[in-house]
Amino acid sequence: MKNCEEIRERLALYLDNELQGDERATVEAHVQSCFSCAAFVEKERAFLNAIRGNAPVHTASPALQTKVKEIVSGSKEASPQHSRLKWILPVAAAILVLILPVIVWRVVRQYNHPENGTASGFALMAAESHLRHSRGQLPLEMETTHPQDISAWFANKVNFNVKLPSYQESSGQEKLYTLEGARLVGYQNDYAAYVAYRMKDRPISLVITSDSVARPSGGEQIASRGLRFHFNAIDGLKVITWSDRGLTYALVSDLDERGQQSCIVCHEGTKDRDFIEPLKPH
Amino acid sequence: METAGENSGFETAALEHVDALYGYAMTLTRDKSEAEDLVQETYLRAVRAANQPAPEGNLKAWLFVIMRNAWLNVMRHKHNGLRIFEFDGDEQTSGTANDATSNPHVVYLRKLERQQVRDAIAELPDAYREIVLLRDIEGFSYQEIATVLNCPAGTVMSRLGRARGKLREALSVRQKVQRLHG
Repeated sequence: MKNCEEIRERLALYLDNELQGDERATVEAHVQSCFSCAAFVEKERAFLNAIRGNAPVHTASPALQTKVKEIVSGSKEASPQHSRLKWILPVAAAILVLILPVIVWRVVRQYNHPENGTASGFALMAAESHLRHSRGQLPLEMETTHPQDISAWFANKVNFNVKLPSYQESSGQEKLYTLEGARLVGYQNDYAAYVAYRMKDRPISLVITSDSVARPSGGEQIASRGLRFHFNAIDGLKVITWSDRGLTYALVSDLDERGQQSCIVCHEGTKDRDFIEPLKPH
Repeated sequence: METAGENSGFETAALEHVDALYGYAMTLTRDKSEAEDLVQETYLRAVRAANQPAPEGNLKAWLFVIMRNAWLNVMRHKHNGLRIFEFDGDEQTSGTANDATSNPHVVYLRKLERQQVRDAIAELPDAYREIVLLRDIEGFSYQEIATVLNCPAGTVMSRLGRARGKLREALSVRQKVQRLHG
């Protein structure tokens, strides 16, 4: 028979159902025969019941539940069911064997001709963030129409200085788009800055990270005013990526204009003619 | 090995834990809006990682692990100071079954006790509040809590003991004050 001190060391485990078999039986036997320990157990049980019965129980709002349902229902496509995998995997393997030479040829070709490559991971992330924000799944963490507020908000949140391009303000261009706000988005185990604009009721996203984390690559390329822009079409969106003074930017929109012409939509009217002239079709 | 996403019940099962995850998010963030963001981020990560093995087939614990990692990631970049955490009237909280009593005095005492418990939990240090939620509200086992917190089970036991000690102390002080003013 164990003494009361030894038993009381085990009582928390006993009350939390963490003891099994002989250990549990030993404690139970002692408590049944020891008035002092039985009283102690009752007091502890009352305390735990008070905590468990009165603690706040939060309920997700209907709006949150709807958003979560939308997110989870999207997983149907991302995670095929096991039974489907049984025949999909061999078929996929056969297709892979057939197309492998093509993939190798394209990789080699891209290595030799980088301007024809596919969209960078950063561009893909920017497009995905834009879509999620448009669907209400990526709410803004701060809202403002002032670029300086955005820079101040990101200070201490990301390890680079967020400086928004302000062609509109600096050029005296008529105001075609408005700043809405910002939030953090994850990229490469770190945070990138997500900035939301709106132009004629259509969302435009600007994602920024350090150029040590992401470099623009792939897509149709064009040089303008010392910068090299990469144009990609991803999931029906136009994504433009470029690097400038230590930062890499990805601008995402659903504008109808093709490739670099989408730049002109925002920059038309700017006095920076040397910036837009190379973008115009010749 | 069974994965979180390969069974057709993933959607249904994952949705069962929205309230629990929201409660955990409230404990971590102390902010309704941030908590809602964190819940959405957790599900987005879960969907992306749905083909990874769930720890011991425990989907709920797996979702809690994802949420905690997402929150730690946020905290690493935020450095926010202390914020006020209130279980206020805006919060949707469920009552206890015993509230059905019609005796106004009993109802008052229960309300008082509930408020005292909630205030005492709210005033606990973050790590203690978190472990009380995981064990006493969500009912996770010590081993499951160890998985969520990424620490040894022994640490769970000692931290839970200290958290309950603090809670007991705080409630005792509140009851003494109530008696003095009662």
